Amino acid sequence: MRRLAFSIFLLLTHLCEAQFGSAVAFPNSSEKTVLDKSPEFFVLNWKQGTILNRSETPMEIVVDSVGAQKVNIFRDNSDAPVLYSSNIITPVCADGDCRLMHITLYWTLLGDYAGFDRSSEEPLTKHDHDDFLFSDYWKLHELLKDHNSILKRRAIDELVTKPKPSTIEGVDALSGATIKEVKESVVSGALYSCYVAWHLVHGDIKDQIKAFTVAQQTEGMLVRMLNNENINYQMYALENLTKNQYDTNFSRISTLFKSGIPLVRSFIIKNLAESFSKEPNKMQPFWDALPYIDINTRSLLLQHINTASEATITSISGQLSMLTKNQIRDFLSHLENKSQISSEILKNLRGFADSSKEKNSYLVVQFLEDNS
Amino acid sequence: MPLMKKLLIVTLLLVSSISLFAQDVLVEAESFDNPGGWLVDPQFVEQMGSSYLNAHGMGKPVKNASTKVNFNKSGTYHIWVRTMNWVPGEWEAPGKFQLKVNEAVLDTVLGTRSGWGWQYAGETKINKKNETHIELVDLTGFNGRCDAIYFSTKKTTPPSSPKKLASWRQELAAEPNAPEELKTYDLVVVGGGLAGCAAAIAGAEQGLKVALIHDRPVLGGNASEEIRVHTEGIYGNFERILKKIDTKHYPNGSAESKLDQQKRDENVKSYDNIDLFLNWRAYDAISEENSVKYVDARQTFTGERKRFTAPYFVDSTGDGWIGFWAGAEFSYGRESVDTYGEYWEEHGELWSPKEADNAVMGSSVLWGSKDTDSPQSFPEVPWAMPVSKDYAEVNGEWQWEFSRNDLSQIDDAEEIRDHMLRAIYGSFSNAKKDEVNKNRKLEWVSYLVGKRESRRLVGDHIFTFNDAKVGKEFPDGVVIEKRAVDVHYQTVLEDEKNPDFISEALFYRGPQYYIPYRSLYSKNISNLFMAGRNFSCSHAGLGGPRVMLTTGQMGAAVGYAASLCKKYEVMPREIYTGYLQEYLDLIEEQKYEKIPTSKK
Repeated sequence: MRRLAFSIFLLLTHLCEAQFGSAVAFPNSSEKTVLDKSPEFFVLNWKQGTILNRSETPMEIVVDSVGAQKVNIFRDNSDAPVLYSSNIITPVCADGDCRLMHITLYWTLLGDYAGFDRSSEEPLTKHDHDDFLFSDYWKLHELLKDHNSILKRRAIDELVTKPKPSTIEGVDALSGATIKEVKESVVSGALYSCYVAWHLVHGDIKDQIKAFTVAQQTEGMLVRMLNNENINYQMYALENLTKNQYDTNFSRISTLFKSGIPLVRSFIIKNLAESFSKEPNKMQPFWDALPYIDINTRSLLLQHINTASEATITSISGQLSMLTKNQIRDFLSHLENKSQISSEILKNLRGFADSSKEKNSYLVVQFLEDNS
Repeated sequence: MPLMKKLLIVTLLLVSSISLFAQDVLVEAESFDNPGGWLVDPQFVEQMGSSYLNAHGMGKPVKNASTKVNFNKSGTYHIWVRTMNWVPGEWEAPGKFQLKVNEAVLDTVLGTRSGWGWQYAGETKINKKNETHIELVDLTGFNGRCDAIYFSTKKTTPPSSPKKLASWRQELAAEPNAPEELKTYDLVVVGGGLAGCAAAIAGAEQGLKVALIHDRPVLGGNASEEIRVHTEGIYGNFERILKKIDTKHYPNGSAESKLDQQKRDENVKSYDNIDLFLNWRAYDAISEENSVKYVDARQTFTGERKRFTAPYFVDSTGDGWIGFWAGAEFSYGRESVDTYGEYWEEHGELWSPKEADNAVMGSSVLWGSKDTDSPQSFPEVPWAMPVSKDYAEVNGEWQWEFSRNDLSQIDDAEEIRDHMLRAIYGSFSNAKKDEVNKNRKLEWVSYLVGKRESRRLVGDHIFTFNDAKVGKEFPDGVVIEKRAVDVHYQTVLEDEKNPDFISEALFYRGPQYYIPYRSLYSKNISNLFMAGRNFSCSHAGLGGPRVMLTTGQMGAAVGYAASLCKKYEVMPREIYTGYLQEYLDLIEEQKYEKIPTSKK
């Protein structure tokens, strides 16, 4: 039934093209060749005064019944690539009712979702033909930001009718909760528009854009990524910088170790494993960050405790509250292997052992008993 | 039950579990005559030394546990209770309880010491002429725990360190090193999850005399009514067997799991040649010349012990305990991306790290609440808030999962379970502050930790993500699966503002894939099969086949292999090298019920 409706729609688009306007792209008046302000919905930071100029790329997105839609690149004044974009017109069909969706999509240099601009002349509409409200656009933005959305792994018809168990490619289970997840993540009354937009953003074009960027990758580009707030840029830079480039950018990397997300921190510390033994002094900023980092990274850092200075060991002994049970065990085991424990460390340990508020104080009590 | 027999059993229980040694009496809490509302919790025996009683009342104090003890000497006794404050901190301990001896409740509030150990409860006068009544009086309903009660006329605290405690206990109970009773079988299956049940059924159908040892009162493991995860995956070659033990499709945590529980238990019990040992937990495996000789198990309530022997063993414990004790090679954590080339660009480090680490998929504790007709109160839970923070929820699905790289899913399972309990109680408490939930009450919170990943025993083949990705066909590909490879990670890794007990799933959708028989027996322990999440695979390789219909297929596959092993008196590896066609034929034949001769 739906196929029949879509065929009729295709016929109508040919017969009544004028009714829908141009089927190739936005009218020229709405195409931006220069970006002097951030897209309306945008995930990256936009530095004031930035001006980006558009140029073409060989990449295209092919939309059923509408044809190829160009993917452009925006570069800054120094000609460095910054963003990709495409003005998209695509049919959205639900229960035999098809309409055209107009939207300008943006991607990062790595092909991730960067944002969108809405069309002032052709606002997005819901199933009941009401225009999207600003809050609906915002929700769409939130959905598009989720690269791992449930929309990724479900056919559209699986989202509107509960699938049979045998067809489920579930996580541990598909259940009421998962259906709830769909409802919560899409704009109410606009499931089809959300679905189409998500798959345009996160479709094949993603890999093509990344490949296009990688082909023109430079050290400057990697350093800009490292200094960007975008997590994927940071990770990509950290994965691709050479050892020498790590050294050159060590200050930024050690800052990121303190301020980044846990995933970035753990990648940094694993990548710098050798430096702890070879250049222990240089790694001091990492030890200084110990109180500020997450538990997982702290565990990875404590694996290098043998390379830490006596001052660092003393400092940690005075901050045992921040360590988990197993981290305290590891720390105590390090102390046990030392030929001598300083009086300051012992004083700190006794203070911790005597505290009635510390849930792991019993570990230190046992340690002091065994080593008295 | 005739009265005499009942009395005899009580007497035997007393003799076996309560040791009378001069002026010392040790009462194991799990052996109480009547546990009341307390639950026997045997999940962490390997770490803290024993099963224990857990006052899992979801915030409402549970009914007293009680027992009677005979002393052989009158006098004043000092009393210690082995317990633990499971959330020490700047608040009152969540799991508080008191001890009642005869009619007197001792003043000391128990469950307030950090870490498992002995808390002094006070002293009492005992008259040997009368039976002494002991009760545990729960004060909070929030998982107070009692492992044992020790009475002594001397005021000497029993040992706390795990090693000393074990030998002290053994000495006090006058236990010989090995269990005295030896049971002999063709096949010993340890672990009664889906994999273990299927292995036992397949072996039994082929005429093997099978022992199935399981540490819970009901079968099914994660699929049981106690944990309530439904069985995901496909039936592959073993639909007939798996339909005897699977679940219907219902949401995780559903009370409907009770119906499937009944079906599963009845079906397994219907096999005359399966000896089912429910509430028995294996605690050791003894190997000689790279072959498992015995598995020793203990009754989780009474402490009674048995030794099991067989030419073949199946490790379906999930944590790979039999293999671990027997010295089988195993792996834990994530391999580096280069180990097996399991790179997937889209998810990079989250999927397969540049350097190996201890991260694994986490464990879940499912829970739910329901609306009622009247307002329902819920206590303040300050001890839960550091975990739940401002997260508010009224039900918990599979995403309620916890893993952290400093915690072992095996050795720290109690801490993981307790972290999830704090997450649940705290989130529910937050939700209750919303007027819309004023009539809502907790309906069910599992106290069992549902694990996804722990030890993986190493077989002749290590199943990896790449095997699944390309749908690699094997001559011995006896297990088949279609579901996406699905690896979980904690969302807190991407954003520290996220709660640390919520996970996300990464899916790789590929073709149908196959698990070879060679991944289902140990590489270095010659007579050990494995079925379940502890089969031979990489971390990412486990992502697809870790669900229960797939692990059930593994179980059935090893049950049939064991029958051929017995027939030819060979070891599991030789089924692949010498009897593969016959094995595959057997798997094909078993798909259909045989028509009785009378109906042909």
